[in-house]
Parts: sequence; C-alpha cells; structure tokens
Amino acid sequence: MRKFGLLSKALPKLQTKNVPVEHTSFMNELALERKPSILRELMKNHATASKNVVFIGEGLPHPETIPFSEVSFTLKDGTKKVFTGSELVTAINYLPTQGNPKFVQKLRELMDRFHAPLRWEDRDVIATAGSQDGLSKVIEMSLQKGDAIVVADPVYSGLVSNVRPYKAQLISAQYRKNGLDTVEMKDKLTAIWSSRSKDVKIPKILYINPVANNPSGHVISDEQKREIYEIACEFNLLVLEDDPYYFLGFQDELPKSFLSMDTENRVVRFDSFSKIFGGGLRAGWMTGPKEIVRIVEMHMQVSVLHASSLTQAIVLQILEGQGWEGFLDYTKSVKEFYRKRRDQMVALADKYLTGLAEWDVPEGGMFLWVKVKGVSDVLAMVMERGLKKDVMLIPGHAFMSDPTKPCPYIRLSYSLVPMEDVEKAMQRLAELIKEEQAIESQK
Amino acid sequence: MLSANKLIHCLTKNNYCKLTILRTFSAGSIDAMSQPIDYDRFINDLSARRKVSPIRELTKLFTTAPPGTIFLAGGIPNGSTFPFSRMTVELKDGTTFKLEGKKIENALQYQPTPGYPPLVEQLQKFQTQVHGLDSTFWQKNSLLVSTGSQDALCKALEMSLSEGDPILVQEPIYPGTSAIIRPLNANMVPIGQDEHGIVPSALRSALSNYGSSEKVSAMKKDVPKLLYLNSTGANPTGATIPTERKKEIYDIACEFNLVILEDDPYYFLHFEEKDPVSFLSMDRESRVLRFDSFSKILSSGLRVGFVTGPKELVSRIELHTQASTMHTSALSQAIVSSLLDEWGSEKLLQHFKMIQQFYKGKRDCMLASADKHLKGLAEWSVPRAGMFLWIKVPGIADTKKLITEGGIEHGVILVPGKDFLAYDDAQSQYFRASYTVASPEDIDKGFARLANLIKAEIA
Repeated sequence: MRKFGLLSKALPKLQTKNVPVEHTSFMNELALERKPSILRELMKNHATASKNVVFIGEGLPHPETIPFSEVSFTLKDGTKKVFTGSELVTAINYLPTQGNPKFVQKLRELMDRFHAPLRWEDRDVIATAGSQDGLSKVIEMSLQKGDAIVVADPVYSGLVSNVRPYKAQLISAQYRKNGLDTVEMKDKLTAIWSSRSKDVKIPKILYINPVANNPSGHVISDEQKREIYEIACEFNLLVLEDDPYYFLGFQDELPKSFLSMDTENRVVRFDSFSKIFGGGLRAGWMTGPKEIVRIVEMHMQVSVLHASSLTQAIVLQILEGQGWEGFLDYTKSVKEFYRKRRDQMVALADKYLTGLAEWDVPEGGMFLWVKVKGVSDVLAMVMERGLKKDVMLIPGHAFMSDPTKPCPYIRLSYSLVPMEDVEKAMQRLAELIKEEQAIESQK
Repeated sequence: MLSANKLIHCLTKNNYCKLTILRTFSAGSIDAMSQPIDYDRFINDLSARRKVSPIRELTKLFTTAPPGTIFLAGGIPNGSTFPFSRMTVELKDGTTFKLEGKKIENALQYQPTPGYPPLVEQLQKFQTQVHGLDSTFWQKNSLLVSTGSQDALCKALEMSLSEGDPILVQEPIYPGTSAIIRPLNANMVPIGQDEHGIVPSALRSALSNYGSSEKVSAMKKDVPKLLYLNSTGANPTGATIPTERKKEIYDIACEFNLVILEDDPYYFLHFEEKDPVSFLSMDRESRVLRFDSFSKILSSGLRVGFVTGPKELVSRIELHTQASTMHTSALSQAIVSSLLDEWGSEKLLQHFKMIQQFYKGKRDCMLASADKHLKGLAEWSVPRAGMFLWIKVPGIADTKKLITEGGIEHGVILVPGKDFLAYDDAQSQYFRASYTVASPEDIDKGFARLANLIKAEIA
C-alpha cells in the first residue's frame, strides 16, 4: 500500500499505518492562532468550581428579566413536554459552546449506538447550528487560498459555496453505475503526488456525502467505503463525512459510516436532525478528533456562541422519550415516506422521460439526478425556456466541480410537490427536452 | 484639511475643483452632495469571491413566479414528516401564544437567510421607530437576523479584515471581539476611553498617524477602515457615549472614510429617562453596521440578534451565513416574532422599563457594597447602562496576577482588566464586576473578600 518514496512536497507528510495522525497538519495559520474566548472559558470553570467561591465576574442576564414562564411542545403522537422552572432556564439561557451537557452526552451515546463504540479520549462531539456550520468551520480551519480538495462529482453545492472563495481546486472522482470511481480517485492522487510542478497542490481533505449524495442520490456501499478510507490513509487525507441523509438511505440496514471504520482518527463526521425533525431547528452536530473539535469550538465561541438552547432541549427530550429503538422506528417511517415518493417519481420519469433522458434510481434522499440526452448544456433550457413553461428546476452546474463546463444534468426534488404537479412538471420537461434537442441538432 | 495655498490654487482653476475642496474642507457638514461610498474598500478578497447559491436565487424567484409554476428546484424536506403538532409559549405576564398549523410548519422549515420574513418586517419597523430612520433608509440599507449578534459581528470582521490590516477598537475591549480579530492577524489600534467612552481626540490622533484624511480615505491597505465600539453600557467600562460625542466620532468617520461597527447589545439596559441616540440614527452616509441583540432582553439561549447596515455589506454577511448556519433557528425566530406580535409596542416598552429598573436596583446594590468595602482601596464611576462595574485598584500593578494567585484562596472571582486589553504585554489595574446575577449577599461577600485580597497584596 504505502509505496511512495517520491515525496516531492514537504507537506503534508505521508503517514505510515497506525502512527497517530497529526491533526495540526490539517490546520491553516488562522486556526493555529485561535485562542479560547476567555469569558466562555470562565463559564466552563464556573460550572466546575467549588461552591465556596463567589463569582461576580460573569455578565449573564438575570432570569427575572426573561419574560418566559413556560414553553411546551406536543408531538403528533400525542407526547407532550413542558419546560418550566430550571428546565426552562436551560432551554432559554446561555449554554457552554459545546452544547447542553446532557444533550452532548446523548449525542455521544447516539454515536456509540449507531456507529461504533468510539474512543472518546481521542474524539469529541459538539452541537452545531445545523451540520453545515460545522462543515463550514472545518473548511475555514483548513483551507488556504488555492488549496486542493478531493470530492466526488456531482458535489453538494453547499460545499462548493464554502470552498470557492478560497479559489480551491476541486479534484473529482465521478459517480458511475457501480458507485464512486475509486480508481479515478487513486490515479488522480497518485499523479498529484508524483508531479514535480509547483502549481499542483496536494490536497489535505476529502469531502464526501456518502448516503444519498446530494444531488445524485447515490449510496456508497460499505465495501467501497473501506476502499475510500484506505485511499484516505494512503494519501493522508482528512475525511469530511457529510451525512445529513444518513437515516434516509433506502436500504433496510443502516450503512456503516466512515466514522465507524476510522482506525486512524482522520474522519470528521457531520450529522443532522434537519431531515427528520426539521431544518428550521438548526440542529446538527459534529464528531471528530479532539483537536479539530476544539478549533471549531473556539471559532463558535466568538461567533454563534452555541446552538440554540431551546433546540437542544427539545431534541434531547424527544430522544429520551423515544429511546434508541423508538428513534430508529421513527426514522424508518420518514425513510418510508421518501422511498414511496421516490418510487412515484421514478415511475413518472419512466413514463415521460424514457428516451429523452437517463437517470440512476436514487438509493436514498429526495432528489432525482437526470441526464438529458442530445443536449450538451441545459442552462438556457432550464433558466430561460423552463421558466417560460412555468417549471423551475436546478441546472446541474451548481453541483459540478467546474461550473463553467457545459452540463447536461438537472436535479429534481421529489420531497415536497404533490405528485399530480410533479406529473405536470414531467410533461413540461419532456416538451422542453424535445424542443431543446431540436434546437441543438440544428446547430 | 487643505492648506490655504492649495485652496487658492484650486479656486482659480474651475468650479468643479472648488466644489470638491469645499466638500473636503467641511467634512462635518457633508450631506446628499457627498460621493457614495465605495464599499469594495471594506470587503476583503475572500469575501468578494463569495457567490450566491443558485438554489437560494431560484427560491427567491419562485416567490414572484406566476401561479401554476411548479417548483422542483428546492432542496427542502417535506414538513409533514416532522414530528411536532404544536408549541405553546407562556409569558410571566400571562400572555400565551401557540405555534400550530402553518406557523409550526414554518418554524420547523428552512427559511430565507436574511430571516423569517414576518420577523424581518417587524424588525425593520422596530428599527425605523427606535432610531428615527427616514423613508429612504431601507433603499440603501438592509437587515439580517443572525444567530446572536456576535455571529454577524464575527462575519463582518471576517468580511473586511485582511492580514496586517489595522483596526481601530475601543480599549478596553470585549474579549470576544479581540478573539475574532487576533487570528486574522489584523492589528488592533486601541483608542482609550474615559467614563463617556472613546475619546474623539484620541481617535483623531491615532488616525493622523496614517496620514491626512484625504490620503487615508482613499487607501485600501495599511490604513484603518473600521472602528469597533459599544455605544451603550460598554463592556467592560459601562460607559455610554453621549450624543454630542457620537456626532464628533461620526464626523471623524466620514472624514477618514471609516465604517463604524456599532456593537450595541445593552442598548435597552440603560438607567436614563430616554433611550440613547445611536450611530445608526445619525448615519447620513450609510457607514454604520449596527449589531442588535435580544440576548439581554428576551432570551440569550434562543440565539437571535440582527445586523442593520449598508446593503453591500450586509449582503456579504448574508452570503457567508448562507454557506454556514444558513439562517437563525426558525423556531427561535417564530417565537420572537409571535411574542412581538402579542405584546405590541406598548408592552414591549413596558418590559424594557422593567428590565431597566431591575438592573438599576442591582447596580445600586453593588455600588453600596463597593462603598462599604472598597472605599479607599479602589475607584469606580457609576455605570449609566449595562451590566458591569469597572473597578480600578490604584495600589496594584496587575490585577490578573492578583486574582489568578489569590482569587480561589480568598473565594472570589472577577475578571481581570488585562483580559480586556488589545495586547498581551500590557498590564491592567482594573477588575470587571457584574451586578446582574449574583445575589446581594454574594456581592457583599465577594467585595469583602476582594478587599481582603487587595489589602493582603498591598501590605
């Protein structure tokens, strides 16, 4: 595996197996210079200090000035929870940056239950204001202008928004019929490491959305995950496992995560409750090497301070009420909902788009990724002619590592729109494609 | 300021030249005649490269699309899968409101980045009312709801600062802000405060180190472009900048082409008859980014703040937010929005008055304990706003050493002044005490112990 003698670049170092990863090698100067926010650290110290010490330093609002006396929620299954007294205080006031301590502990238990018992000596968890805030902060921790990052094409546009400002070079491996093209990934990485050109940057990060990749709906198999993990080890990549659709994969078994096979502590995993409890809550969390969680914590200390206390209290309550089996059953019901809609969507695609376009059946999530035949670039079709036909779709450019190249893909969402309307949209799309094919053939 | 010779020379040239000179000469009275600000000067390369998400753009477009348009471009989950049917909020004054049906669905669903639309509208009206904004204000400026005001402040600093940039900051400064600035390798230029906040002559003097106002206003690199301050009840000094002084500072900002970062989370926590006059309210040139917070007045845990300022700058913060937190918790926003609706202006103002009276009482209690235990050992001014008492111990060279070594032993912890300084190598004779949460007994105990600690050190 580790054959490389050609170390044409000084950093990052290639690791020999089982030597602990140097997490600071993934951090840029800005990250290395971050220091803890004194006042937020004071709050931590207060929590553990002796009762005899009087703290008159902290600038916290007095509970008497807070106008709330009770906050309660009722679930569709009839469960009700009332936050009042000290529980309300925890739900409505400042928290430590890492999160509501009971909630953070619950998240550790969730990770142990669904992934693998983790070594919490080397790792930690932090509650984030949506999983994307964690992702954004890890990108900002690591990237410098012009850096390279390894991705799978097509790639989540949110990742692109984060790396574009750094003029990052995206090194992509394509999704194909049998999954991610790991041969392509390895070949490209090998070429980079062998290159003597100063312009070729060695990537430090691999970003992957392994379950129901947004936008293509692919699910990476457990075996392929192992292959990719091996590549990450070989080329010393930090693996950013962005997994908001983890519970929305349409297989019966939950996938094995990169985190669960992370023997070298090089995976940073981003989880989310957005697709199962509500995106509006901004309820996400990040699990990863302690040093990396610490950098993100320090950045959060001076920005959001912490994820919403109320959101954390509510999610904690639901998880405690359901237990893990109940939670799993609940996620299965959400999965079933989307699986049914996927089937309806695919049936409509078969009916209206056969011969006009190609697609892989989504293995999870809420999107259909369609390749239009006979049209090299769908931009005008979608953004001009599509709007005139009263149908709004996303052109695939938003998800490609190089958005300037012509792109024949469209992303269709089957999550929300009533199926009668989806049928209408498919009819209009079929017309659009035929018209576009005619235009193209005349060129 | 032009020399007399230059003025004469230009007056003889042509009318346009004369006009330009007159503008520069009387910078304080520039009105609609002044050049619009080139906001690019305040946006660093990284921020400038942020692009709008095509999905967000299409979503905006959809709101104005003809009926019958079918939207398959979204990426949002289906709200019917969310487990909540209702949320109820009860307030201490008996007000109750529910979020159910469409309201709870919206509270659980992704929102536009600038904020939950009803709340954005309410906050715009609120700002207009509180700061006396005129009818043209919202043409040039916009508002964004942030996950606490500090997130917007962090993003504003990350938008503007480049490595090596100087930035003017009040000193002593809230350590949360200096912790943002330092890793960016920007250089804090501390401007000293007296009991009324930053001193305009100190500001002017610091700026003149970089050259004349014409020179500085035109440069993008190596000159200060931002001025960071707390307007009301500054953290940690408790100073509120009087209106006349604010006008002086604002005029200097116009002269030297600065953007003022008005970080004002204690705006409603004052002990005066009337609300302070903000920089925002006098911002004729659109060079104020104002950060407001609900943390000290409604709830700190909900994480709801908002930033108001020039569209060109707020949009950069919006793009960064789009890529990171996406938007402030919709549930938090829906709760704040409903509460504002239920209460209306009158009850809201009553609530502010209640808070002001409450904290005034706490302040007075701390001042009484300070008089009792610290007279002769320490000095302080009476805070006219905020949460803090800024105590000077003339007999001690560095309070950090004192509290670190003796604090636990004597059983009292306050924040040492050194934590509020721009530079590591400086020392401070000050402590910051907070009167908001500690009980009267604890405050008294604490100051008695502090007195012992100080006496032990001086002896």
